[in-house]
Amino acid sequence: MINLWAYLGISFILFICGIMVMIARKNIIALLLGVELILNAAALNFAAYTKFSNGNLDGHIMSLFIIIIAAAESAVGLGIVIRFFQLRESIHIDDASTLQN
Amino acid sequence: MFSNTLFLLSAVLTVAGALMVVYTKNLMHACIYLLASFFGIAGLYACLGADFLAATQLVVYAGGVIILMLFAIMLTGGTGNKVNRYGLEKIPAMGNKKTYFTAGFTAIVSALILVKITMSAMSGNPAVANLTNEPTVERLGTILATDHILAFEISSVLLLGALVGAAVISRPRKEIHD
Repeated sequence: MINLWAYLGISFILFICGIMVMIARKNIIALLLGVELILNAAALNFAAYTKFSNGNLDGHIMSLFIIIIAAAESAVGLGIVIRFFQLRESIHIDDASTLQN
Repeated sequence: MFSNTLFLLSAVLTVAGALMVVYTKNLMHACIYLLASFFGIAGLYACLGADFLAATQLVVYAGGVIILMLFAIMLTGGTGNKVNRYGLEKIPAMGNKKTYFTAGFTAIVSALILVKITMSAMSGNPAVANLTNEPTVERLGTILATDHILAFEISSVLLLGALVGAAVISRPRKEIHD
C-alpha cells in the first residue's frame, strides 16, 4: 500500500540528486537545475504531509508559494547568467570570482 | 488499481529523471530529463489529490521554467576556452571525476545525517490518508483569498519585481570605454 514513506523516499532521492548536481557541476545553468530539484523535493513533502497528516490545505498553499518563488528565482537567475555571459564569454562558475568586472 | 499504476509510473519517471540529470554530461539533455522529472512530480501531485498543484506544476515548470532554461542554454552556448584568465586549466563545465567524488561523498554524508535526525521522529506507524479525493480548487481559492491574502499580495509584488529585475539585469547595455 502506498503510504507516506513512499512520497518521503521520492522526495529524499530528489533532494540528494539536487545536492549532487549542485556540487558536481561547474556550469551555472546546471546549478540552477539542481536548485529546481531541491525546491521540488520540498514542495512534494508539503503536499504529502497535507494528504497524510491533516486534512486542511495549508500545505498546498506552501507548495504553491514554493512554485512561485522558484519561478521568480529562475527568471532572475537566468537573467544574471545571460548578463554574465555578455561580460565574460563564459558560464563557468569559477570565472565568477570577482565582484566588479 | 489505477491510482497505484499512476503512482508507480510517476515515481519511476521522477526518480529516473532526477538520476539522469545527475548522470548525463550534456546540459540540454539534463534539461529534458528535468522536464521528465517535473512531469513525474505532477503525476505524484495528482496521486496525492492535489489537482490544482498538478496543473500549476505543469504550467509553471514544464511550460515556463524549462523553456526559460532552454533559452538561456541556447543563448550562452559555445564557450571554448579551457583555461581561466590566470592561465590555469579549468575544471570541465559538467564536472570531472574529482567533483563527482566530492558530490558523492557529500550526498552520502547528508543522507546519513538526514536519516539519523529524522528516524527518531518517524519511528511510529505512518498515518493513513484522511483526505478524500475531492476537488481542492474551490477550497484552495477560498483559503488563498481569505487567510493567506497578505502572502498572496506579497508574492504578486515579488513576481513583478523579479520580472522588472530580470529585464533590467539582462538588458544589453552599451559598454563605456574611456
